[in-house]
Amino acid sequence: MAANMYRVGDCVYFETSSTSPYQIRRIEELNKTASGNVEAKVMCFYRRRDLPNPLIQLADKHQMAQSEDSPVAMKLKKICLKTPIGEEQAAQAVLDPAIVAMEEESSELPGTDGLAPKQRHQAKHRELFLSRHVETLPATHIRGKCSVTLLNETESLLSYLNKDDAFFYCLVFDPSQKTLLADKGEIRVGSRYQTEVTNLLKEGEEDARNSEELETLVWTPEHGLTDRQIDQFLVVSRSVGTFARALDCSSSVKQPSLHMSAAAASRDITLFHAMDTLHKSGYSIETALSSLVPASGPVLCRDEMEEWSASEANLFEEALDKYGKDFVDIRQDFLPWKTLKNLVEYYYMWKTTDRYVQQKRVKAVEAESKLKQVYIPNYNKPNPALITNNNAGTNGKGTVLNGGTNGTAAIAPTVCASCQVTNSSQWYTWGPQHLQYRLCGTCWQYWKKYGGLKTAGVFGESEGEACRGARTGEEGALSASHRPHRCTVLNCAKEFKLRAHLARHVATAHGGCEGARPVMKTRAAFFLRASPFTRLARRLVRALRRPRHHARSPFSPINLHQVKHEFTVAMAGVGGADMRAMGAVAGLAPGSGKVRVRGAVGAVAVRLATAHGSAAPRAQEWLLLTPKDRMPVPEHVAFPKPPKAPDGSLMYERVLSRAEIEARRGETPTLAPVTQALKRRAYDDINGLDRGVSSASAAPPPAKRPNKHPAPMQRPSREQYAAMCARAQATGQPLPAHVFAHVNGKPTSLSGRGGRRHVISWMDAPDDLYYRATETAKAARRALSCGELRRGARAPWRAMRPPAGPPVLPALKGTGNAGANTGTGSAPLQLVILD
Amino acid sequence: MAMQPHSKKRVCYYYDSDIGNYYYGQGHPMKPHRIRMTHNLLLNYGLYRKMEIYRPHKATADEMTKFHSDDYIRFLRSIRPDNMSEYNKQMQRFNVGEDCPVFDGLYEFCQLSAGGSVAAAVKLNKQASEICINWGGGLHHAKKSEASGFCYVNDIVLGILELLKYHQRVLYIDIDVHHGDGVEEAFYTTDRVMTVSFHKYGEYFPGTGDLRDIGAGKGKYYAVNIPLRDGMDDESYESIFVPIISKVMETFQPSAVVLQCGADSLTGDRLGCFNLTVRGHGRCVELVKRFGLPFLLVGGGGYTIRNVSRCWTYETSVALGVEIANELPYNDYFEYFGPDFKLHISPSNMSNQNTTEYLDKIKNRLFENLRMLPHAPGVQVQAIPEDAVNDESEDEDKIDKDERLPQSEKDKRITGDGELSDSEDEGEGGRRDNRSYRAPQRKRPRLDKDNNAKDDVKPEDNKEDVKNVSNLEEPKKEIPPNA
Ligand SMILES: [Zn+2]
Ligand SMILES: [Zn+2]
Ligand SMILES: [Zn+2]
Repeated sequence: MAANMYRVGDCVYFETSSTSPYQIRRIEELNKTASGNVEAKVMCFYRRRDLPNPLIQLADKHQMAQSEDSPVAMKLKKICLKTPIGEEQAAQAVLDPAIVAMEEESSELPGTDGLAPKQRHQAKHRELFLSRHVETLPATHIRGKCSVTLLNETESLLSYLNKDDAFFYCLVFDPSQKTLLADKGEIRVGSRYQTEVTNLLKEGEEDARNSEELETLVWTPEHGLTDRQIDQFLVVSRSVGTFARALDCSSSVKQPSLHMSAAAASRDITLFHAMDTLHKSGYSIETALSSLVPASGPVLCRDEMEEWSASEANLFEEALDKYGKDFVDIRQDFLPWKTLKNLVEYYYMWKTTDRYVQQKRVKAVEAESKLKQVYIPNYNKPNPALITNNNAGTNGKGTVLNGGTNGTAAIAPTVCASCQVTNSSQWYTWGPQHLQYRLCGTCWQYWKKYGGLKTAGVFGESEGEACRGARTGEEGALSASHRPHRCTVLNCAKEFKLRAHLARHVATAHGGCEGARPVMKTRAAFFLRASPFTRLARRLVRALRRPRHHARSPFSPINLHQVKHEFTVAMAGVGGADMRAMGAVAGLAPGSGKVRVRGAVGAVAVRLATAHGSAAPRAQEWLLLTPKDRMPVPEHVAFPKPPKAPDGSLMYERVLSRAEIEARRGETPTLAPVTQALKRRAYDDINGLDRGVSSASAAPPPAKRPNKHPAPMQRPSREQYAAMCARAQATGQPLPAHVFAHVNGKPTSLSGRGGRRHVISWMDAPDDLYYRATETAKAARRALSCGELRRGARAPWRAMRPPAGPPVLPALKGTGNAGANTGTGSAPLQLVILD
Repeated sequence: MAMQPHSKKRVCYYYDSDIGNYYYGQGHPMKPHRIRMTHNLLLNYGLYRKMEIYRPHKATADEMTKFHSDDYIRFLRSIRPDNMSEYNKQMQRFNVGEDCPVFDGLYEFCQLSAGGSVAAAVKLNKQASEICINWGGGLHHAKKSEASGFCYVNDIVLGILELLKYHQRVLYIDIDVHHGDGVEEAFYTTDRVMTVSFHKYGEYFPGTGDLRDIGAGKGKYYAVNIPLRDGMDDESYESIFVPIISKVMETFQPSAVVLQCGADSLTGDRLGCFNLTVRGHGRCVELVKRFGLPFLLVGGGGYTIRNVSRCWTYETSVALGVEIANELPYNDYFEYFGPDFKLHISPSNMSNQNTTEYLDKIKNRLFENLRMLPHAPGVQVQAIPEDAVNDESEDEDKIDKDERLPQSEKDKRITGDGELSDSEDEGEGGRRDNRSYRAPQRKRPRLDKDNNAKDDVKPEDNKEDVKNVSNLEEPKKEIPPNA
């Protein structure tokens, strides 16, 4: 019970995606929404794997600096700690020779001495980076508690490794600035900060201080009175007060009953006054009594509470309502005859009244939406990555093939990609689908919680690195240890040198049903705007003369150096005029890449008319714009605007999750799913992965080969996406780099900064598609002339008429957006590389 | 109201009836009103009549510049809400504006808070009192030329400076949930003031207070920081407080103690993250009081004001050595204490992130540091060899009662300590247990012995400290009145 009770302040695992590790968050607030769900406002902790690489290196160095007291370390500490570290400073830190030297000395986390390499590897999974980033997540996504504590130097990392769900942090990460800083203040040293210390008085020296000047005695326990006597005197003073109220006209109005007078006379002010009186009377009850009833009449002590009239009280409440507790304003505008002190004193007393209590009750009801804790039962739904009996058949086969890395078809059992164990009650698919990695139950849990594999092994720190490794492997293409990659699909078993080739093979040869199919959203959707030079280069350079080839294999690298070289050579003898000519051929506006502004039709007409010497057409009817309401209405609107909501916003249809689409596709073989997929995704579908999953379980099971198409590995949340974009913009590279690396005609390398990437906002970008050509489609393509094909690529919305025999290309005629489907021309830019 | 047999002391209490009406501003968590709430509780609990009650003077600029820079104090004196706009630059420079807003009567508020602590220190110096309380003080974040963390004028530093006239070494202990950075910084380079702060560390205001911050120059090893994590409960707190303070007393041998009782370390504090109850918090007062040194208690943080006033009321009763009922007496602010209207509060079920292992490691590291202090000459001395032997044989674990010895020792070194000796038993019945350091030779050896041997010499006695706790816990009734 207690384990499932989550309180504000707890650190918890959140599952925002079933196929990526949990996110670690600290609950800052729990709020009940109108619909009765509980939302958690949480603060983000980041894992090492979530940080950009340079920052991780920096973090490591900071750690070293902490662990050593060498001057170098101190220096580094200063660099790291004093200022938020930007990329440049990070670079600086790296460049500092002293630091580099230090780095060579040791490059381990502190406290790792004596740790086995494996432990060292695992310790990295326990390090988090605090951030001030706050987000809101549904509380139902909580998957258990963990603890995150600031690493103390006395602790060894082992103490974290030995405990489940224990994490530490040292540094604070700012995701928007991409900085790390230590959350450590500094005690400053210098005469501006320390005090001058008083000297001890010398023997016989007298302190000039005189207590009488520093204080006034208002009560001393050194009196001859007993407790009882004091109590009695207090009662007497209250009685006097009650009587005084009876005599006082204003009081008798306010306190019509004796009880009320007595209550008023019992307030603390009367008691304090009584004590003061006793003290002033030298603790003689007799004297004190007589001073309570001087000749002028019994003493009446009233505090603010009593002093205020009912109308003043009303004014005050009204003012509180209007200004809140801004007493300066309240005084100015409502109660100028009171002092600020009057107001404050009254306020704190007013808080004890029924009126306030009632008000508070109302507030308390409102505040009920703010929860202190929430009960979240254990989450029992199986993770979609769990290999169940349902798909065991396919997997079993896959396993067989998978086992024979060296070509033998021996039946090998499933092997955990992390611990190599072959026996496990549960297996999970892990990593890019086509690679068919499996994790045993334990390792899967470990991965979900700690974001890495137990052993560093071949896959590096995480599946992310596994991917990265694949990429570098591809670029280097020669790492000796590289095993051939084998297609795991039934009856195929083709081998590929590079993982990317395998990925392409899987996508093209086994893509499932023909036609467009949604793939994951790219991390950054963008389009490439070719600069004039790029376009020129495309024309001129031999390597680029096979546009169809490159369009079809966007993965195969283009040697940019060669391109550059050839382009330079080709351009060498070319003068400006020639270039312009070439530009014209290339479809460029002469001399510049800019589109010429010709002005409105009317203006052009006037210009033309004037040029021909005729009078400017004044009011030619055909020059007037047709009023909107008289515009001809098209017979068929391809994309009718959705209906408007009362607030004027357009109401889009709910977008189906992929599972739903699939389910629906199974029912009705129409193109509808495609259009659906092309629409915007609702936020829920992006973020609430598990919701999609659960709805899938309600829907009929996916009809065919669910494992075949590459599933989204990590669909970034909106925040992650924004962070990635910001990162990409700031550094000019990391994020889309892998997409770029394989894109034909990478523009930047040609003209330096000629081509620009335009990052389309996440929500506006169309979903990515790839088109798998079937034999028929290919045949149809072959029937097209090169020119037609090109035209089609450039104008994908235009329907293509095949020459004769082959039927209309289905995907092309389907929807206006099918452009992305052609797989040629501009389309490859939106292809995702699932490495 | 039963008296605890042991520990009746002469207590002076400083309060100005205006203090509750200073108002930091709308939504500001710091509410001086809590001091008035405490005061009214004290009256109605009948504790008021057992103390000397003083209205402090308003500290003058001259007094405040004993620590603070002249221009900073001049600034505080001139700034008002209605002339703020003329002071933009200075406000930035002195960090006044956001956390530390300009409010009506700001300077007076500082004067009262500082005036109380200074007057209290003078009182202690004159030995006119054994324990002084200023709940309006304790503003431990204020720096020499800078306001910080709701604090403008550091009354603690001013009080300690006053104490240093008569005391060679003054110990400052801070149990606010925040690091006592202002006091630590002020005395960072001196060996005459040791600052010991227990606080939440890590992603927490003010960001200082790392275990490794130990002082500088002559003051190296004279700053002691105990970085803690969320959820400290009574038990854990005591398990680290007792050994550390005992060791500090033993090695540093102060002749006066200032305890900052920030109540934001209580469970359920609006800004805090510990899980202490009023009892656990008050335990610290009790433990420090046991050492019998001139003792200045100041307030500090505390942002759930009903609990703050509960806490300080209880701690006043502890200082007085008077037991008070759990049932709160009726008073002007009674409704604040609903729904239970009890003095004591229960801890929450929040988890305690401070493992025993963690606390042990911290403690051991601090012990190592404390060992670096120059040992007072002849500390281990006078004493009790026979007893020690006996005890040891009986129960090895009990070792390490050492704290006391040294104190007595150091008493001797206090200049002008002649006066000290007579101050002891003002209150009736108090004398039995003042094992105080101040009557140097006679009593101390005795006390220490009763249940433990005191070979403080052993460097590796750390583990026994836990035992130590239990020793301290027992009120020492069996002490022979005179030695
Ligand atoms: Zn495994
Ligand atoms: Zn294949
Ligand atoms: Zn505090």
